[in-house]
Amino acid sequence: MSGSIGKPTPFIDAVQKVTGQAMYADDYRMPNMLYVSFFRSTESHAKISKLDISEAESYPGVCAVAIGKDIPISFGVLPISPDENAIAVEKVRYKGEIVAAVAAETIKAAREAVEKIKVVYEPIKAFFDPKDSLEVCAPEEQIHSHTKNGKNIHKTAELRFNEPEKELEIAKNKQSGFFKFAGVTHAFTEPHSTLAIWNRDDTLTVISATQVPFYLHKNISKVLGIPLHKIQVKKPTLGGGFGGKSDPFPHEIITAYLAKKTKRPVKCTFSREEVFITHHGRHPTELSMSVSCDDDGIITALDTDIIIDGGAYGSFGVVTSYYNGVLLQGPYKINKFGFRTRRTYTNKHQCGAMRGHGAVNPRYAVEVLLDMMAQSLNMDPCDLRNKNFLPENTLTVGEFRITSNGVRECLEAVRRKSDWDNRYGKLPFGRGLGVACGFFISGSALPIIWNRYPQTVVHAKLDFDGRIVMFSGASDIGQGSDTLLVQIAAEELGISMEYVQVETADTKITPVDLGSYSSRVTFMVGNAAKTATTKVREEMAKAISKEKDVTAENLIFNNCRIHTKDKSIDLSWEEGVEIALAGRGAFVESGYYISPKLGGDFKGSGAGLSPAYSFGAFISEVDVNPNTGAVIVTKVWGAHDCGKALNPLSVEGQIEGSIHMGLGQAISEEMRYHNGQQINANFFDYRIPSSLDTPDMDITIIESNDAEGPYGAKEAGEGPIHPVLPSIGNAIYDAVGIRMMELPITPEKVLSKMKENA
Amino acid sequence: MDYYHTPSTVDEALTIAGKLSGNYTFFAGGTDIQNYRKQQLDTNEYVIDLSEIEELDSITIVDGALHLGAMTTLDKIVSSDEIQNHYPIIAEAAKTVATPVLRKTATIGGNLLVTNRCTFYNQSQEWRDGVGSCLRDVGDICQVTGGKNDCYSRNVSDTATALIVLGAEITLMTPNGIIQKSLKDIYLPCGIKFHDLEERCILTQISVPIEPKKWWYKKLRLRKTLDFTSLTVAATIDTAGIARVCLNGVSMSPILIEKPLKELTLEGLISIARKNCKTVDNDLMPLKYRREMINVYLKEWWKSFR
Repeated sequence: MSGSIGKPTPFIDAVQKVTGQAMYADDYRMPNMLYVSFFRSTESHAKISKLDISEAESYPGVCAVAIGKDIPISFGVLPISPDENAIAVEKVRYKGEIVAAVAAETIKAAREAVEKIKVVYEPIKAFFDPKDSLEVCAPEEQIHSHTKNGKNIHKTAELRFNEPEKELEIAKNKQSGFFKFAGVTHAFTEPHSTLAIWNRDDTLTVISATQVPFYLHKNISKVLGIPLHKIQVKKPTLGGGFGGKSDPFPHEIITAYLAKKTKRPVKCTFSREEVFITHHGRHPTELSMSVSCDDDGIITALDTDIIIDGGAYGSFGVVTSYYNGVLLQGPYKINKFGFRTRRTYTNKHQCGAMRGHGAVNPRYAVEVLLDMMAQSLNMDPCDLRNKNFLPENTLTVGEFRITSNGVRECLEAVRRKSDWDNRYGKLPFGRGLGVACGFFISGSALPIIWNRYPQTVVHAKLDFDGRIVMFSGASDIGQGSDTLLVQIAAEELGISMEYVQVETADTKITPVDLGSYSSRVTFMVGNAAKTATTKVREEMAKAISKEKDVTAENLIFNNCRIHTKDKSIDLSWEEGVEIALAGRGAFVESGYYISPKLGGDFKGSGAGLSPAYSFGAFISEVDVNPNTGAVIVTKVWGAHDCGKALNPLSVEGQIEGSIHMGLGQAISEEMRYHNGQQINANFFDYRIPSSLDTPDMDITIIESNDAEGPYGAKEAGEGPIHPVLPSIGNAIYDAVGIRMMELPITPEKVLSKMKENA
Repeated sequence: MDYYHTPSTVDEALTIAGKLSGNYTFFAGGTDIQNYRKQQLDTNEYVIDLSEIEELDSITIVDGALHLGAMTTLDKIVSSDEIQNHYPIIAEAAKTVATPVLRKTATIGGNLLVTNRCTFYNQSQEWRDGVGSCLRDVGDICQVTGGKNDCYSRNVSDTATALIVLGAEITLMTPNGIIQKSLKDIYLPCGIKFHDLEERCILTQISVPIEPKKWWYKKLRLRKTLDFTSLTVAATIDTAGIARVCLNGVSMSPILIEKPLKELTLEGLISIARKNCKTVDNDLMPLKYRREMINVYLKEWWKSFR
């Protein structure tokens, strides 16, 4: 390959970002812009019996006040559970829910006016513990009226194959455990921010910090009754998402509504506390799981029962419920397999999608149980895993189509690099090594909103200036998809990256992409971009072959030149462009990606289907202080099979980021509540590991070259997080002999477990 | 910014304060108090920023005693050779405050007078409205204990812990003249009025008379940086064999235990410490664990010189 594909490539927007020039949503200013402030609920669950906004409406500087009945149409990211209103209608379901919104000339006036709003609540019994939500309650106590059997269960997802429960009943070698996981949040740097502009031609432009302009576009249209063709959603530079900006949000819809109502630009930017309130992070989870093996350590069955605490609304919850179960089908071969997930509604901040969506917590459980199994069978934990890996090109029990699979190479790499065989089980008391593996989807094969279109379309435009402009709906949320588009165009056309520019994530200008979630962009957008730019090359070759009387196939695009092997024809890129555009002018080529038809025909078969899966193996080393219970993760060896690293710099960054994020959930991060109110809604008390807490990292990229991925690539953004947490948990066992079944693994839990053990 | 004053002398600062009839806040760095303003816990209209008073920025050793200007940044203290060589416990304590970036602005005086903390108090206005206010705010009940009389907010000054075991003296300037007293005497065992200071006074200097024979310092927190303390223990043994042990972060004020080493037993020390620390569940680290760590830390100190 002659271009930058496969070479460490700094992101095209890196300099802009570090020099402060990049424009984030909050950086956009408009003349006559209004500012929004929200009046939020101080009750967890209550009927709104009186709401008086009159004083706020007449407050100096206020232009509009919105309440629930102004925008009563419900919405949600999943068309199957549109259970949320932009502003609470009749009742509130969590502390912090928006009850009214004020648009004013200044942010100060908006805030002061909010203080003039008066409300009377009629409290209803609040549910904070998901187990309480499983019980029948009085009809008026139901958080949502649509839930069945008088309970507050949002979704029950259950699949079973080949009666795992029967196998587990008779199994000689069985390990079971009850695990508990606190909720964690994305903690992206940039708070949510939205600017809505009502244009003179009665169209709406929304500039918003979103991972998914398309869903926002659809939901604004639905709730505000504005035709789809009169809405434009643009994603500016984004300061991180991790799944936390992938829902359409109330504040976005409210801001758009206020722009429409006032016919003026309206801006809303959250405080950090509001970001925490908005949440949509990883579900608090309780699960029991059992795994059985034969005497050789071959896994015979796995069954698990999972309760996830969804908070007040649905978000991605139906998908999360399935992912908790179905993503246990790899990287090990398990023929007798079953799960049930119940997602409950509670009166807390709503949970949703977060890096590693749905699969992170059950992955911890299964990897700890396998470690316990290895222990009981007197087998090395790496050897036990090695015996059970799925092969390449196979189907899992739930009919996931596994294509490329580099998990063996991943495990081999970290095992060797960490000197596992000489050190595991042999380190002094207090120090230990732990291993874990994982796998993840490379894009969901099925779209959330069912449609007959491809999952992504990319246009590549060539014009007189010799520049290639890539038009794609893909949202660069910091993961580098803009750079990916440039790299691919440069690669296919044999030009340097400076010839390529991007127009992305603008629903008026760019062809639709379904968004940056489920680790789909590299695989899907990458393939579409490759097709589009290949077509540009073919068009150019066709024109040159005609003019120069040479076979198109013999033309080589390389180093900004177009030439034959013998250089009898040797054109500069500009000369080639001129020939290609002669008589027709600028042209655009289009590429798209549609996932092949995958999966079985049973109910729930669609969950977790992906055209390819990434794999990984991680080993962590820890230092546990037996006096204080403090855990220090000193080193992590991570190996991830991303098919082909199109940009190794970026893949390494994703793996390092996953280690840091996984470390946070493992040892310090936690959404903590007091009577339904979060008590650590700031970066001071929500304890993200600092640079000093971050271990040394040794990253290995394994390239299994997937046959369907662009240049062989698969995902690297989410898969690497799964093995991080259990590798830490297992290392603590090796260090001090205790099994940590509850996250985060804070010092007091370690100490009390050590006492129990003593 | 007519609300923001930057006097260049202590006298000027006191004069400005005199004109503002209590409606002002001194900034001695301001890294922490800014949060109080943002959360509407400090609603004073005016700010008097002391950072331009050069006379308060100094580190000197005279006749074997250390004198620190109150506006000396923690960063300067951490990197001062004199302090590292002669009073390493002060450098060590300063290094455990906040983060390297914050320490470039935060000062020793600011840290000594850092405001007491509580999980239920250090929150935004909206948050406090949601939970119901507390004794220290505008409410009539303690959200931690349910009591109606006492507030148990925690003193979290790390440098105070170290300076108290060094027997530090402080100088305060008031419109009526200079006051000198022992550092430990400015701390009151009350979660609401936790500093015994005159209405209009400025901490100008900290003086440390003794160079201890042996010292020990440790801070409990979840992360290796940034976090306020969940328990800080500092201890010295001077040449006369007097042991001074100070615990902070676990009570309304620093708890000093001062005794000849000969008269101390570990059990006795733990028992006094546990009795004197009014520790309640007002930190994110669990109460039981923090109490347990008092024992663990004291034991660790005890072992360190045995």
